[in-house]
Amino acid sequence: MIETALKVLFILLYATFVGFMFMGIIRIVTARIHRRVGPPIYQPILDTIKLLSKESNITHGFIYDFGILYAVGATILAVMFIPLGSIGVLRAYGDLILITFLLEIPMLGIMFAAMSSGNPWAGIGAQRALLTLLAIQVPLGFAVIALAEYYGTFSTYEIVMAQQISGWSIAHFPLLLAAIAYDLVLQAMFGKEPFDIMIAPGEISLGPMVEFGGKHMGLLNIQHAIALFAETLFFSNIFLGGGVVTAFSSPVLNTIAGLLVLLVKQIAVLLVATFMAAIFPRFTIDQAAKFYWKWPTIIAALGAILASL
Amino acid sequence: MEEVTFKIAQESKVRKKPSFIKPWLGLKYLFKKPVTIKIPYEMTEPAKDYRGFHTLNWKTCIGCNMCGQICPARAIEMTWIEGEKRPHPKIDYGRCTFCQFCVEVCPTGALGFVESYMLTTEWKEEELQLFDWVPIPPEKFREIQEARRDWKFPVERMEFNKETGEVTYHLRDGTEFRFRILGYGLKPPAAKPAENKEAEKSAEKQE
Ligand code: SF4
Ligand code: SF4
Repeated sequence: MIETALKVLFILLYATFVGFMFMGIIRIVTARIHRRVGPPIYQPILDTIKLLSKESNITHGFIYDFGILYAVGATILAVMFIPLGSIGVLRAYGDLILITFLLEIPMLGIMFAAMSSGNPWAGIGAQRALLTLLAIQVPLGFAVIALAEYYGTFSTYEIVMAQQISGWSIAHFPLLLAAIAYDLVLQAMFGKEPFDIMIAPGEISLGPMVEFGGKHMGLLNIQHAIALFAETLFFSNIFLGGGVVTAFSSPVLNTIAGLLVLLVKQIAVLLVATFMAAIFPRFTIDQAAKFYWKWPTIIAALGAILASL
Repeated sequence: MEEVTFKIAQESKVRKKPSFIKPWLGLKYLFKKPVTIKIPYEMTEPAKDYRGFHTLNWKTCIGCNMCGQICPARAIEMTWIEGEKRPHPKIDYGRCTFCQFCVEVCPTGALGFVESYMLTTEWKEEELQLFDWVPIPPEKFREIQEARRDWKFPVERMEFNKETGEVTYHLRDGTEFRFRILGYGLKPPAAKPAENKEAEKSAEKQE
């Protein structure tokens, strides 16, 4: 029991810390692409501390507070289900559909909170976010089906184990297609250009986030950090072979090596997303919906069909 | 009528094809050195004759108010200073646009400017006084500018005694610059009421 609690705590702290580092990496890499220096890597942590220490906190009622907590909670739950190397609390139950679902729940929480603020910008943002959510479901579904078809299981942990034997998922052509589709979907899940339509800074003044300030925004920052960690972790687990290392004899060394391997893979996923975000302009919402129902869907469906042959 | 030929670029030559591949060229700066000046650690050099704060040669200013008349922001007010026969311009940097028309128009070349441009204060009343000054002589300003080369306003602190009109500039090199303001405007202050009226009349006539 205590061991599990310790594990949960470790995963939580690790996910939050690494998530913040990822946010810092995104900012630095984006800055370098623009030939700027950028902030220090720990800047998001400072930002969050600042937000959490704000004196005035505006609230618009129960749902407004609850939505945020709901989003944070769902994200944390998602992390618990995803195998983190050889550490994992609920990894035996970490089924593809469940995790995919849990990774989208936070968006709903934020939407709840945003809608209850009564700000029209937040309303527009929420609408756009929900439409994006709707649009990414189709390719996402096909990608998950392709995986499940290929490995014959929905369990994430078993998929990781299967990759230990048969090589990374992206080495197989049908799953490569699924991975490409999933990577395009990731862009929307991170809320990065070209699919950051729901946040859309400069267009609808931050959309759902427009009313949040102080502790609400601080919590959202933490949520974003953990979500970044969870999404990259999930991608590395199902497509990049996860982080199970058995090279050393001692289990502690193996675990640490596994975490490092995973970290490298996660950063690779993150970098691709950052590059895309830095060089592509934002889609409009109708273009995004059309895009997701067209190319990623075709690619992922092709992958699913090929995987089932 | 003379025939004129216009050159029009072809639409097909101007319009580019959209591409999914080409934006990736945007990554080419990723490993280049950032083009950034790290301001607190590196300084930038303003151009020579960058239009910054003013200097005033108190010996040659004849108090003609040319500068006050041309100033588009009406930032210049004539100020009577004890011991000076003529009024000198006082410049309000809250309004000044740094167009330097006043420098251009000054018939004796008394008003000048230097490259320093940094003046930041807090909201406190006594600090805000820094924005309103009778410029100091150019040699002094240059000296301070050369010593630090951080392009800041040469006065650190200003003391203004409302009753006596005494002004003290605490300059950045530690020296003090004192004078006493007797009054403002074109008419000499502290004159007897009768004289004052006469002066007013003559001023009206001139206008
Ligand atoms: S600074 Fe020049 S223009 Fe202004 S009052 Fe003095 S002499 Fe005249
Ligand atoms: S620089 Fe221009 S705005 Fe400033 S005092 Fe001179 S004339 Fe007026």
